[in-house]
Amino acid sequence: MSIRCVALVWLLGALTPSLAWADNPLIVEAALDREVAAPLLDAFEEAYPRIQLTFRDHSTLEVDARVADADDPPDVVISSAMPWQMSRVNEGYAQRLDSTAAREWPEWAKWRDEVFGFTFEPIVMAYRLDLSRHMMPPKTHADMHTLLTQHRETLRDKVATYSPSRSGVGYSLFQQDARYTTRFWDLVAAMGAADTNLEANTRAMLEGLSEGRYWLGYNLLGSYAMVWAQSHPEVIVQVPQDYSLVMMRMAFIHRDAPHPAAARAFLDFLLGREGQRVIAGETPLFSVRSDVEGPYTAQRLRDQVGERLYPIPLNASLLAFVDPSRRTAFMERWQREFHRLSHPAPDQSAAATESPIRPDALAAVRRPGYGVVLPTNDSPDDME
Amino acid sequence: MRLLVIEDDPLIARSLDQALTPLGNTVDVFTHYAQAHEALQSGQFDLVLLDLGLPDGDGLSLLAELRRRGDTTPVLILTARDGIEARVEGLDLGADDYLAKPFSLAELEARVRALLRRSQQRADNRLAFGPLAFDAASGVATLDEQVLDLPRRELLLLEGLLLHAGSITPRETLENRLFGFGDVGSNALEVYISRLRKRLDGSGLRIRTFRGMGYRLEEVSP
Amino acid sequence: MIEVEGSLKARLAVWLVVTVSALGVLLLVEAYFSSQRAAERAYDSQLEAAALTIAEAIQWEKGQPVVEIPSAALQILATRHQERVFYAVLDADGHTVSGNLDLGISPDWRRRVSSQPTWLNDSYHGTQWRLYGRELDSAGWETQDPVQIWVGHTMSGRDALTETLFEHAVTRFVIMVLLAGILMLLAMRVALAPMRRLRHQLRQRDADDMRPLEARVPEEMREMAETLDSLFTRQREGREALLRFTADASHQLKTPLAGLQTTSELALKSDSPDAWRQALTEVHGSAGRTSRLANQLLSLARLRHAVEASATSRIDAVALLHETAFDWAQRDASQAHDIGLAPLPASPQYIQGEVWALQELLGNLIDNALRYTPAGSVITLGAVNHAQTLELYIEDDGPGVSPEMLAHLHHPFERGGRQDTEGSGLGLAIVDSIVRRHEARMQVESAEKGGLRVRLLFPCLTRHEEG
Repeated sequence: MSIRCVALVWLLGALTPSLAWADNPLIVEAALDREVAAPLLDAFEEAYPRIQLTFRDHSTLEVDARVADADDPPDVVISSAMPWQMSRVNEGYAQRLDSTAAREWPEWAKWRDEVFGFTFEPIVMAYRLDLSRHMMPPKTHADMHTLLTQHRETLRDKVATYSPSRSGVGYSLFQQDARYTTRFWDLVAAMGAADTNLEANTRAMLEGLSEGRYWLGYNLLGSYAMVWAQSHPEVIVQVPQDYSLVMMRMAFIHRDAPHPAAARAFLDFLLGREGQRVIAGETPLFSVRSDVEGPYTAQRLRDQVGERLYPIPLNASLLAFVDPSRRTAFMERWQREFHRLSHPAPDQSAAATESPIRPDALAAVRRPGYGVVLPTNDSPDDME
Repeated sequence: MRLLVIEDDPLIARSLDQALTPLGNTVDVFTHYAQAHEALQSGQFDLVLLDLGLPDGDGLSLLAELRRRGDTTPVLILTARDGIEARVEGLDLGADDYLAKPFSLAELEARVRALLRRSQQRADNRLAFGPLAFDAASGVATLDEQVLDLPRRELLLLEGLLLHAGSITPRETLENRLFGFGDVGSNALEVYISRLRKRLDGSGLRIRTFRGMGYRLEEVSP
Repeated sequence: MIEVEGSLKARLAVWLVVTVSALGVLLLVEAYFSSQRAAERAYDSQLEAAALTIAEAIQWEKGQPVVEIPSAALQILATRHQERVFYAVLDADGHTVSGNLDLGISPDWRRRVSSQPTWLNDSYHGTQWRLYGRELDSAGWETQDPVQIWVGHTMSGRDALTETLFEHAVTRFVIMVLLAGILMLLAMRVALAPMRRLRHQLRQRDADDMRPLEARVPEEMREMAETLDSLFTRQREGREALLRFTADASHQLKTPLAGLQTTSELALKSDSPDAWRQALTEVHGSAGRTSRLANQLLSLARLRHAVEASATSRIDAVALLHETAFDWAQRDASQAHDIGLAPLPASPQYIQGEVWALQELLGNLIDNALRYTPAGSVITLGAVNHAQTLELYIEDDGPGVSPEMLAHLHHPFERGGRQDTEGSGLGLAIVDSIVRRHEARMQVESAEKGGLRVRLLFPCLTRHEEG
């Protein structure tokens, strides 16, 4: 990056409060709960009072669709559907961010200096306090499998996890799980045998736990679960002790951003010390930067959980998750495994509720055969 | 006549003095540049004999200064410098004649006489050589003060010879003078020469023939 | 006149700079392209590996190819430089089995790939892509239709690697040039050492030291050293000749001076005015001869040892002859002789020469004729125009010279076997020198009337040279 650009960014930053952003709109398209993100947005508006921030909170599907909307492109795109974000960047929808914060951002949390993972959200298990009266609550994936096998009847219909077909995040998490161990499919089979409920988002699982419908939840977004647990003492959050996936919310500046300067300011704020400090202190999103203090930092999480945190790698391998045939294959296997141990294998029509591919849905999103496929009935991965 | 001799060698200076004074001249001798310079500024001379190698200066610069002042006094250069360049330079600067050392006194006297005569002729518009004289204004020639009654061509011939008296008058010059540029018989001039010779017989003057070159009016050697 | 024109070092440096720059430009261009090729090879092999990895994952189900894109393949494609990646698996009809971007694989490309694996460069949305396609024979149970695998990525890694490799090449080249420059300076110091030695030696020589050089020099300097040596030799010879001449000359001068001394001494001892007169007459005559001798010696020395040739010019030889004849005819010394001019050519005859030398030449010949012939002799000067040469001649009707003496006449102090005249014998030697300076020829022969005839044959200036 040239010195001129550095100077320009610095200059813009320096002029910020007085005149630079006077009446500057900024459109952020995000799959991020406004309530969760509120402190962050407030802090930004305080720092850049002249920027008129429009924060649109949508599902990952809608966010992804808006990226390709040539007529009204957003300035900044934020989503937790990592493979889909990655795919958009690979298609060239992002523009490079040249700034000190971007350069200093850890390599493992950015791609091409175009897209940045700015949160560090562990994937957790959660159980209802009642569970411990019946059995040892699980601490690891193996524990989970053992419990499902040994207490299948007790747990029948009491377990909840993401639906891989209805949730992009859930799908990504299972793909990632499957990459780490083949025993994952035993877990899927065990969950299937226990008639596990497949939910579209973490909030639904947490509500089920609080209401007593569910005793055990698998692969919840830790950020939301931890906040929930604070106000719902009956819910216990367990970070898996063998390994815990970590999801990052990815943000990039749209290639055709109508307000690129404001977009750069926003992203710089997200990646900067102030934004990360807010994330660490006032949101459960966990900051990535190691130089900020607060209850929610990646560093603190590491100190608590140890080195068993497995961030989903922010690299080209994510693109494989959105490959249509790979997705088809994965979903077929999911169906097979999910029903393997249960009563007679369901016929095709019964499985249709979990059918991964709906050709009409594909057609609606993309040209056939190319690019990213999103489940059509996905809902925001946020607590709503 | 008043002569200025500028010569640093005392032997030569004395010889010059002794040779030129008996010819009826007043001779001033200076041995240094500075003295000569002063003398030239104050006095009028009829002829300057200039040695180039002076102990305190170059004779040529003295000559140059003289001519710069517009002084046309005849200058005879005497020098031991044996270079054609020095000679050419001297003549270029306005010297009238040039004599290289060593020279014979007879040669020197002849040159001095010629130079004085020339300057004299320039002064009074009258040609004279020995007893012979010719007044260009009136066209009258005299020998020993006696008017010579001469035909026109003989008079022209006499004047031509007198103009170069002491040196050879080229034959072509005389032929042009007498006959114009028209073609003329080879011995036509010789006819008039022999007539003039007869008239000069016994006057102490004679006309000598130089084969292929011309004629010279000269005094009969004693 | 020694003119300093640059230095050897500067000259060599300029040569080095020019050649090295020219060579350097070529080398750097070559280096750039080879860097590019190297980067291309390195990254092309990644494309190949990615394609192979995808090929591994292709399976056939119900006669249809099915592929579960391996993450590893995409990571290989992305490389360290986080390239944007493209992949596509096409069936036999060109339909996409799996893929992520629509880069528009044309039928033409598919045909090329069907014969052999192909690399392509293509631009897509303003970004340069490198694509690789290969065909895979199907091994399914139901079908043998081939599938094509296409992979590609953007080129920032290649550009970066090219840049790095090129930078290394440039650095190596610059270091090499610097080293070569230093080595050249050192080599020049070493190579020029013999020259410095020679210079030192020459500087230490005495001004009049004309001995041959004693120095060790390399082959390249031999010629210069030998030239210097021969220069020394010539100077030595010239100086020896001058010394001999000076010795001869002073010997020649001593003789008349001795005569002067003895004559004046005798006269001083005598009381007789007649004896004084006699002695003074002799002294006068001898002084005249001596000064003439001195003049001639000086002329001869100047002619023989003149270093700088005076500027020559185009001279009308007839006019010169005319003028010289007039000059001499009027001198006191000539009055006893009949000097005359033969009829001259009517038009000017030009030769190349020096006026003063030619006057000296003619003067000496006239002087000789005056001295070696009895009073009353007829001396005639003339000019004859032959086609290519102009002849100036002087002849007399004197006693002449015997045929055997004719050949030796132009040696200094040779008097044609005569000791009875006032001459020094230098006249013809001077004449000879001047004749040679003018590239003319001199012929001395007996005249028809019995005297001597000296013919000078000058090359005429052609019309072209006159221009």
